Amino acid sequence: MLKPLITAYLRSLQDELRRQGLYDPDTLAEVESHLLDSLEAGLASGLSPVEAQQHALARFGPPILLAQQFATQRKQPMQKLYFGLALAAGLLIAFVDAQPHWDDTGITVFALLLTGGVIGLLVQRRPWMFGLAIGLWLPLYYIITKQDFSMLIVALFPLAAVYAGYGLRRLVRGTLHSA
Amino acid sequence: MIGEALKGHLDLLLLAVLQNGPAHGYAIIEALRQRSGGTFDLPEGTIYPALHRLEEDGLLSSSWSDEAGRRRRTYQLTLKGRQAYERRQEEWRQFAQAVNTTVGGHA
Repeated sequence: MLKPLITAYLRSLQDELRRQGLYDPDTLAEVESHLLDSLEAGLASGLSPVEAQQHALARFGPPILLAQQFATQRKQPMQKLYFGLALAAGLLIAFVDAQPHWDDTGITVFALLLTGGVIGLLVQRRPWMFGLAIGLWLPLYYIITKQDFSMLIVALFPLAAVYAGYGLRRLVRGTLHSA
Repeated sequence: MIGEALKGHLDLLLLAVLQNGPAHGYAIIEALRQRSGGTFDLPEGTIYPALHRLEEDGLLSSSWSDEAGRRRRTYQLTLKGRQAYERRQEEWRQFAQAVNTTVGGHA
């Protein structure tokens, strides 16, 4: 069945959800399923394919507004607290590592990974932002004081850990919900 | 007018529909429309974000199934959702009774 308007709408919604940091293939699949149900109902009631698509899409509203609705409903006040914690932990780790007597890189990396993993388990949106909040300070210190840009690689550890925690949380939630 | 009045009661309406058993979004909207005699013809753009929020709050859970080659997400009440529904239903009864009494008294 040709449904160009619905296809274009879903593509636009995907972009808007990404912009809001809310992109989730399941949300898109759910909207698509509903639109196809509406399309079939419209066709069954005698509408033309274009009219049936327009009717179905009108009920959802413009993609930008729908994405904003999702964002409004999912506003998590705790996210600001988690972001503050990520910043504080990242700064603390960088401060300790910058001390002249400190030479235990293993503990620094472990602390970055652990903090990233825990924060990843808590956050619901934009995990990359939390990863950077934890991991940017140490490279920044080395770049400013020693012009050592190779330390930027350190930022990848908490970033990977945050995504691992974030992914694990989604996996567990999905498993629990489908159980 | 109805939209404004509904704002505070959307969760109760959604929980009430799902209290009858699991349903996907399309069926929930249809049920709301039919059970209210067409009064609650709510746009999808309002319902889905609210369903997601209720799931995030632990009042609903969802699962995916394949029906006629189409993936569908079905929502159902959790234990917490059932308790919330009963509590809100009772609050609504008291509120509606108070409004009826007050408005009726002036009629």
